[in-house]
Amino acid sequence: MGYRDVAKVGLGGPVGSGKTALVKRLVPELVAEGYEVGVIANDIMTQEDADVFRESFADLLPADLVEGVETGACPHTGIREDPSMNLAAIDEFTERHPELDVVLVESGGDNLAATFNPELADYFLFVISVAEGEDIPRKRGPGVTQADLLVVNKTDLAPHVDADLEVIEADAGDVRGEDPFVFTNCKDGSGVEEVLAHVEREVLFA
Amino acid sequence: METDPDAFLTALRLGDSFLPVGGYTASYGLEQYLNEDRIDDGDDLRTLLDAYLRRVVGPCETVALANAYEARQNGDLGRLLAVDERLHAVTMPREFRESSTKAGAKLCELLLADEREEGEPVDDPADADCDGFATAVADAVDRGATPGHYPVVFGVVAGDRGLSRLEACLTHAYSFVTGLLGAAQRLGRFGHTEIQTVLAELQSVIEAVCERHVDDGIAAMTSFAPMAEIMGMRHERAGRRLFMS
Repeated sequence: MGYRDVAKVGLGGPVGSGKTALVKRLVPELVAEGYEVGVIANDIMTQEDADVFRESFADLLPADLVEGVETGACPHTGIREDPSMNLAAIDEFTERHPELDVVLVESGGDNLAATFNPELADYFLFVISVAEGEDIPRKRGPGVTQADLLVVNKTDLAPHVDADLEVIEADAGDVRGEDPFVFTNCKDGSGVEEVLAHVEREVLFA
Repeated sequence: METDPDAFLTALRLGDSFLPVGGYTASYGLEQYLNEDRIDDGDDLRTLLDAYLRRVVGPCETVALANAYEARQNGDLGRLLAVDERLHAVTMPREFRESSTKAGAKLCELLLADEREEGEPVDDPADADCDGFATAVADAVDRGATPGHYPVVFGVVAGDRGLSRLEACLTHAYSFVTGLLGAAQRLGRFGHTEIQTVLAELQSVIEAVCERHVDDGIAAMTSFAPMAEIMGMRHERAGRRLFMS
């Protein structure tokens, strides 16, 4: 058993876009569906962060299926040019838990150019927040255009930051063509079910 | 001396941070030196790396690499396993061992696996002949029969690809230094010209330590860098960390 024997879902996106919040929403849903799940978080800065992360899944996942991977202040390198340390962590997961179904790999916060190495992620979600500006999809960053699923999070903040969801929707449709995108508010969980449906259909049932 | 283009390009490949073995995640205690404000400028950095070269890279990792290279040349797997075991024993901080063995495993996967796929699996590494050496090493690392430290795997790969023993040692030492300088630049406030000045100043040290230790036997392998080891151990419980070691 090794990293090639388990489904891997990557979650990338800028700092503060809601990647961790989405992981926290997805894990209970996946566990409830009966999947064995592992979680890797890149670039947890402090031990306090690591403790919070493990505590949030304490009742859902074995402690040894939650891992932090440091990427030497190079979050994009860790998921793109050289994913070796993430793959090593997944190998350790599969050695200890051969029954594992899926690993969520959350990247460190990065810029709009960050994409996942296809050997690290079978399916790649790029998470942006409306609070970063309504023009983010229009900029056509590789993360926005190449992700298997674009997640536009924090829709509840749109009226407070002068972001027009209709503009974001139109631009996302233009730049992604047939590729899907989903609006979410991870604070109350809206849209998460749709994200889960994409992940199940494209990765776990594939 | 005539240049072997293939060996030369392999040396560049092995010494390049582009090689995907996770080198950019290792600081070998440097992050902790910076966390504790023990490095203020380029002079401090040069002094520290000079000490790393003279007390760890030279007498420990270069000796391991050179002896692994020789073991490969002689098809002596027992000697290679002894080198790996001793390097594991003399590398004190847990995170240093983990950074080295994880990188070693990835180098194995990248550059020994192709030969391994062509060969038959070897049940007992001691039974391997010279031709099956890379196969046996990759198999032993994969099965956890030996730690598979980076300098040890590096020595085997370098021998396979036609580098001389000294070239292999120089390439490894150079990539160690550039890896740590890159880490320093990402963690601290060092200018790119300052970093290049430090690298230029350390070049003669790299040459000196490799030439000094390239012929040392296994029994000479040792490391004496207590402060670096303490920094490495403190890093395990550091309040802030971006690097694996």
